[in-house]
Amino acid sequence: MAVRSQASRARWVLISPLLVFAAVFVAYPVFQGVQTSFFGLTLQNPSAPWVGLANYAHLFASQTFGGAARFTILFAVLVTTVEVVLGFGLAVLVNRQFPGKRVVFSCLLLPIMIAPALLGIMFRLLLNGDIGLVPALLGKVGLTVSLFAPGSVIPLIVGLDIVQWTSFTFLVIYSGLQSFPPDLLEAAQVDCAGAWRTLTAIILPIMSPVIFAAAFLRLIDALRTFDVIYVLTGGGPGTMTTTLSIYVYKTAFTSGDFGVASAASTVILLVLIPFVPFVVRRIARPEGRAK
Amino acid sequence: MKRRRRLWGTTAAVVVIALLINVPWLNAILVSVKPTGDIARGGLFFAFSPTLDHYANALGMAGYPFPRYFLNSVLIALGSVALVLLIGIPGTYAAIRLGLGGRWVMNTASGLRLLPAIFFAVPYFLLIANIGLLDSVLGLIFANTFLNLPLGIILLSAALKDVPVEVEEAAWIDGAGIYRGLVAVVVPLIAPTLVAVSVLVFIFSWNDYLFALVLASYDAMPITLGAANFVTSTGIRWGDISAATVLSTLPPVLFAVFAQRFLVSGLSAGAVKG
Repeated sequence: MAVRSQASRARWVLISPLLVFAAVFVAYPVFQGVQTSFFGLTLQNPSAPWVGLANYAHLFASQTFGGAARFTILFAVLVTTVEVVLGFGLAVLVNRQFPGKRVVFSCLLLPIMIAPALLGIMFRLLLNGDIGLVPALLGKVGLTVSLFAPGSVIPLIVGLDIVQWTSFTFLVIYSGLQSFPPDLLEAAQVDCAGAWRTLTAIILPIMSPVIFAAAFLRLIDALRTFDVIYVLTGGGPGTMTTTLSIYVYKTAFTSGDFGVASAASTVILLVLIPFVPFVVRRIARPEGRAK
Repeated sequence: MKRRRRLWGTTAAVVVIALLINVPWLNAILVSVKPTGDIARGGLFFAFSPTLDHYANALGMAGYPFPRYFLNSVLIALGSVALVLLIGIPGTYAAIRLGLGGRWVMNTASGLRLLPAIFFAVPYFLLIANIGLLDSVLGLIFANTFLNLPLGIILLSAALKDVPVEVEEAAWIDGAGIYRGLVAVVVPLIAPTLVAVSVLVFIFSWNDYLFALVLASYDAMPITLGAANFVTSTGIRWGDISAATVLSTLPPVLFAVFAQRFLVSGLSAGAVKG
């Protein structure tokens, strides 16, 4: 067929925009990111010398980087755990027919539709000491805490992340529940298994791959948290709420030290690469995935 | 009867949760219609007469550049949608249907899901500066296309795998070439996925903050960055900032309400970005 011979040429024509884009906007930036980490490049001095591993040495000696790494990991693990538990509970609650379900479902998705940076502004509005709703409510019950003070800022940020992202774990787990065979549930009910037993003996074991996927996806996003915290605290007070993303951003664009920032990015990249197969399995081969 | 009451109980419980997690947004709407004097009376003062002044201010009455930020956001989002589709459709078709490394393309696309955007901040700054596109809408379109192309490829390839080969072959036998077959037969068949990809890419480009912060400084500033800067730079006019913020959340929120079915599949596949 003429089409067959045309196909061998046409496919290269069709894929060429993707290849060009991938070369210029993916492969080259990855190369340049790693390369920059070996140079003393700064915002002011674009033709900087080769410094070998000096940027990495600086990084590992830096308390800020270590602190940011520790804060990011603890923050991510904590919010992921809470959000998966709450998201699962919510998914089980919503997983039945009830009046007004469609509208409520849309509302449950709103927090993940809104730009995190804009949500950061809304949080400031909500928490503002003079005009905010939350300090006013706390004042009513006789509490006067400064929410952004060192003692309360981390619980605050964890709480805000939960408000924002429980929607996401809910959505992933709820979508998984939709493929849960309903006859199994009915069988369990016929056997008079209680709600608790149905949950622990049937739903949880079957759902564990979906729950794991929700946790994994949420964890990798939580590890790169930037927008909300940057808008809210700028990483402060001091460097208390500096995530790795904020550290890299500030090192590059506030201190102007591209070399050290790139070294930090490269370290983050190297730590994440072993997890690539997990993501690929989850996203690229959806056969085993609950749809 | 008892069963019905339980169902309404579920509704009540879920409504309470939905309200709680949307308090920030609802509060912003409330403040956006509060007269400035009443905003100063605190978060628990509700006996005000609503005003639309803040919206008028946000839309240009007070001389803020918000209309320009909106325009930039629209251009960046639409440009990114167009570029993702123009690159993604033929590329994914060649990879999946014409046997050009389908698996490799898919694995790369999903692997990119893991890489943190922050890794690309410095290289993108250098790259976009080198090609002279710093603080330009086009530069941000390239960046957002990069951020969203993997998602586009993942969703498109799932849709293309569902198109029966016979449909294409019938078109070829009728004398259509590869290109005509793609445009006239395959593309209409995957239209729902094209809508889903467009909506998701629009929302994510609209919501981007990090790359705007790195690549835009004035001319190309989108609404996320403009609003955040507004909070820190001026003595805070909370009413106006609330109105501008509420307006900027409208496109994604409207999509969430009216295009829900197109969103859920993509979002639950893990397409959300932090």
